[in-house]
Amino acid sequence: MRREGIGRIRARANLPLLLVVTGLTVYGTVVVRSATSGMPGADGMIGRHVLGLAIGLVPLLVAWALDYQKLKGWIGPLAVLNALLIISPRIPGLGDTAKGATSWLQVAGFRLFQPSEPAKLITIVIMAAVISGFKGRIEQPRDVLRVLAHLAVPLTLILMQPDLGTGLVFVAITLGMLLVGGLRPRWFLVFALVGVLVTGVVLKAGLLEDYQEDRLLVFVDPARDPLGAGYNLAQSKIAIGSGGISGKGLYSGTQGNLNFLPERHTDFVFAVLGEELGFLGVVGLLALYLGLLVVSLEVATSSRDLFGALIAAGLISMWAFQILENVGMTVGIMPITGIPLPFISFGSSFMVTNLAGTGMLLSVWARRYGA
Amino acid sequence: MATVDYRQRLKPRFAALGIIVVGILGVLLVRLWTMQVLFGETFAAQAEDNRIHEIPLDAARGRILDRKGRPLVTNRAALAVTVEPGAKDDRPLVDDLSALLGIPADEIEERLSSVREAALKPRVVAVDVPMRVVAYLEENSERFPGVEAAVVAVRDYPGGSTAAHVLGYTGEISERELVQADLTGYRLGDTVGKSGAERQFETVLQGDRGYRRIEVDARGRPKGVIEEIEPVPGRDVRLTIDLDVQEVAEKALADALEEARAQRFPKAKAGAVVAMDVRSGEVLAMASAPTYDPGLFLGGISSREWKRLNDEGSEYPLNNRAIMAAYPPASTFKLVTGAAALDAGIASEWTTYRCSGKWSGMGEQWSKYCWNRSGHGSVSFRRGIQDSCDTVFYEIGYAFYKRGEEEIQEVARRFGYGAPTGVDLPGEVGGRVPDAAWKKKFNENYPEAAVWVPGDTVNMAIGQGDMLATPLQLAVSYAAIANGGEVLRPRVLDAVLDVDGKAALQGERRVERDLKLSRGRIGVLRRGLRDVTTGGTAAAVFRGFGTTVEGKTGTAEVNKKDDYALFVGYAPAENPRYVVAAVVEQGGHGGSVAGPAARSVLGKLLGLSTERVHATDVSR
Repeated sequence: MRREGIGRIRARANLPLLLVVTGLTVYGTVVVRSATSGMPGADGMIGRHVLGLAIGLVPLLVAWALDYQKLKGWIGPLAVLNALLIISPRIPGLGDTAKGATSWLQVAGFRLFQPSEPAKLITIVIMAAVISGFKGRIEQPRDVLRVLAHLAVPLTLILMQPDLGTGLVFVAITLGMLLVGGLRPRWFLVFALVGVLVTGVVLKAGLLEDYQEDRLLVFVDPARDPLGAGYNLAQSKIAIGSGGISGKGLYSGTQGNLNFLPERHTDFVFAVLGEELGFLGVVGLLALYLGLLVVSLEVATSSRDLFGALIAAGLISMWAFQILENVGMTVGIMPITGIPLPFISFGSSFMVTNLAGTGMLLSVWARRYGA
Repeated sequence: MATVDYRQRLKPRFAALGIIVVGILGVLLVRLWTMQVLFGETFAAQAEDNRIHEIPLDAARGRILDRKGRPLVTNRAALAVTVEPGAKDDRPLVDDLSALLGIPADEIEERLSSVREAALKPRVVAVDVPMRVVAYLEENSERFPGVEAAVVAVRDYPGGSTAAHVLGYTGEISERELVQADLTGYRLGDTVGKSGAERQFETVLQGDRGYRRIEVDARGRPKGVIEEIEPVPGRDVRLTIDLDVQEVAEKALADALEEARAQRFPKAKAGAVVAMDVRSGEVLAMASAPTYDPGLFLGGISSREWKRLNDEGSEYPLNNRAIMAAYPPASTFKLVTGAAALDAGIASEWTTYRCSGKWSGMGEQWSKYCWNRSGHGSVSFRRGIQDSCDTVFYEIGYAFYKRGEEEIQEVARRFGYGAPTGVDLPGEVGGRVPDAAWKKKFNENYPEAAVWVPGDTVNMAIGQGDMLATPLQLAVSYAAIANGGEVLRPRVLDAVLDVDGKAALQGERRVERDLKLSRGRIGVLRRGLRDVTTGGTAAAVFRGFGTTVEGKTGTAEVNKKDDYALFVGYAPAENPRYVVAAVVEQGGHGGSVAGPAARSVLGKLLGLSTERVHATDVSR
């Protein structure tokens, strides 16, 4: 079926999705601008943020144009690429260590990107290919193990960096895709039990460094690390709470501007938003996220095949988990792990990933009627 | 078609994903609603606390002036050494500081671990540090981390220890004081008056603290001043004390002690002199010995020094004996007994008594002696006062005992004995007017000693026994005779001054009570008192004084101690203006030791000679 002109574009473009993503990126840019104001090199930072947006448009358009179904045939090379990407920071001369994790790819002193970011998307594609093979019924333990085996490689490599937060994103993505892909509910119970057990063993056995443990548990017990993670959490809560209903106004947040908030343009950018724009601003953001996820869900349900639906489900899981984790950590209901807020946080790698993911949704949407 | 098949079958699963997504957003929304809408104001307050630091700006403490406006206490800037409290664990540093400042190391540690200051505030460990020490500290700053030289405002005492007891001293507020009603709003580390006028007029002297509210960043670095409230300096307080008279009184007291020690009373070390205006109650001088230097308290007194000031061996120099020590009034009390006798009609000016030197009115086994063992012979009531004849007052006392009423006590209380005079200084005691009820309670556990016996009244009649009075009470009671019967509330506050030096608050004359004695009876007493200085026990003291004084000597017997010397008197007799009371502990006889001291002070007050006279008195 061929369409011409405007009608064709309308058929291939999901306007609500584009609007929501535009809204989120504009909102994010405004908040990052406020969060970075007063920081050394503020002008350069907002420039880099906008540059990240611009760069992200390229993978968005490429993914949109590309027939996602063709990806199914590249699973093998993609899996290898995925592993290589995640390992790359470990290669001498290519990696950069920040906050304890060797997760940046760096060439000649220039930080290029965090390979774990594109790896999220590649993993989604691989998982979608594997899970769609079961045609909506994942019942045999063998099938489950096959899926988990495909998760194991990237997850292990990520955890070795070590980057627990990103690792949890991979787990969340897989769980979401398994949910949509037809895993029997009893398996989720098994996963939940295993998850609790593993967490318990890891904490009891002291496998984590003290600071890691502190960050994970400080939201339950703020006195754990009052000057480190506990301080960050306390200041973040003060910032958000003090925003009240309508906020202190853009650029007027005292918590952020006086450096009480750590990582205020990246992981804790939501605290700046909460302080300066208040409950109304927060509701606005959550409404945009609700829009993003509902539209994505519509793309998933309207996909002409299970592969496309699973890609959408993977993206939804990724975003939903990152929103929960990032906002949840700033308000003290989730452990503190360094996960950025989708479309909002400063940081090009993740922005590019989000935009590329948007392109993938558009690709699925554009081909919903196709053969 | 396969696609349709998937879609139908997987629909509940998409729905589940949708529910999870909405659930996540819902949980976050609820959490944010509680934080921002329900508890927004709490968090907003915390954010303000984060952001704003208040630096208190101490107000300059008001000065204390004498009645002519001469400064008794002012302020000055002093070089001080401050040390971060954390340094107390750095033993080598403490030792170095100890060597440099000449303060024992444990003394420094004590200062640093004092909980009486804000936890992180640098502590002042020494004031009035020599410039060379400051220079040394600055040159070797790397050896003395956390140690700084600072200029601090401290109290200045131009007169040294002059009037120390009236003025009092200042120090850091204690935790006990923090909860006192008049000190609300004070904080740990604040300086407050601890005694004397500094304490009494604390709220006036203190002034209002100012604030500089600064915005700080997360590291506490100042970003700017948000507002500044200037401190309001404390008001100056003008006392009724006359510096010149005060100096003479202190000198006279010191001379009296020296004189006593020269006259075979080596234990004479303590005493008090009070001078008061008999018409207004204004205290013109109040001396107490031994004394101390209020400057010792600057920058915190060392525990060794504190111990010394509160030790029996040093005779408790911090005590203001004029109001805090109660003595047997001895013969000075005969005025009160006499007044009671005239009032009760037991005696009149010319009632005659027979003194053989020994009095056995209560029976031979209860015989008592007059100080003059050879006897005064036939003495009138008036003569009894003049010569301080004990027999006369034994008779009167016994007569009162037989009447069955506690009339001497009642009159004594009218004179102001047995209760604080209400002077505007802290720590005043009320002395004691013993009576049957008091004795019963006092000897609760010794029933055999709990009964009021005739000897009690007889002893009391001559100011001995359990009767106790402060020097200020003596002055007030004699002033009442001098001014025709008004018992005044003595005071040291002349005025609280405004910034422009005008009086914002004026001390007021206040009549506490009236003696309710007729002019005639007061006249009898006054004639008796005049005889004392003209031809009686104090005649030698006031010979050639230049004006007539009316007064009474006293020599108190104190268990296991040498006699206490007392004198109370006022002048000029024709138109009394000033009363002076002097007590010298273990100083011997009133007429030889206390009288001359009173003479010097009265001389100063009246513009006469303040010369030290030598007199000998053997009366009691």
